[in-house]
Amino acid sequence: MEVKYINPFMTSVMNTMEMMLGINPERQAPYLKKDKLTKGDITGLIGFAEKNVTGSVALSFTREAALWIYELMTGDAKDKLSREVQDSIGELTNIVAGGAKTALAEDGLSFHISIPSVIVGKDHLISHKLDIPVVAIPFKLNEHTFLMEVSMKVLGKNITQ
Amino acid sequence: MKILVVDDSITMRRIILNNLKASGYSDLAEAGNGVEALSLMNGVDLVLTDWNMPVMDGLTLVKEIRSNPTFGSVPIIMITTEGAKDEVLTALKEGVNDYIVKPFTKSVLVEKVEALT
Repeated sequence: MEVKYINPFMTSVMNTMEMMLGINPERQAPYLKKDKLTKGDITGLIGFAEKNVTGSVALSFTREAALWIYELMTGDAKDKLSREVQDSIGELTNIVAGGAKTALAEDGLSFHISIPSVIVGKDHLISHKLDIPVVAIPFKLNEHTFLMEVSMKVLGKNITQ
Repeated sequence: MKILVVDDSITMRRIILNNLKASGYSDLAEAGNGVEALSLMNGVDLVLTDWNMPVMDGLTLVKEIRSNPTFGSVPIIMITTEGAKDEVLTALKEGVNDYIVKPFTKSVLVEKVEALT
């Protein structure tokens, strides 16, 4: 794994959670993911691509964590993963990807990011690019946890390896 | 003082509107894209717009507003994840008055809105 390309995603998660939720997440040990299964109930997924860069980033939350985050962001309490809660997870993923994109652009690595898609369901599958390893980074957010997954390839080289 | 908030994310609209209401702004309108925003421009004193949106993006909205003889001089703040220097310069060149990169704090949002109202 080339840390210099992964660090901007971790920094962006920390900044986003601190500024949008007022909470500092605690990063835990990253690991290489072996399958497509996620332990979360809801995932925001964004792909990115340019001539020399391809990859994706995903943020997965449990139902409880997503409902709590939605309430923190908007002040409204919800009891199910409604359209509004899905939108909030998509927007959080968008902000995290955007922050990493800006930081990497300063290092000369520019790419476009897609509109976020949101997947809902217990133990759903997340499809990153088939030939690129996926780095998973768990975060603790008060009593909740969430998982960020990043897969990235630059100039034919697997960054997340 | 009427403020129009334009963002395709209902969550982001809610966050911005909540922050504005908490700071004493009560005449607020919202739109999910540039086309909706243009239909709501009558009487608007300040526009806060996202960049990446379906139907009509924020940069196109800025161009449409600036070329309109009726509301072409309304102040605009772009609020977006597009934070690279080139993108900021592009937006400023098209006529936005100020620029906020997501994520942002309430104090930054309110400070920039107050400077233009």
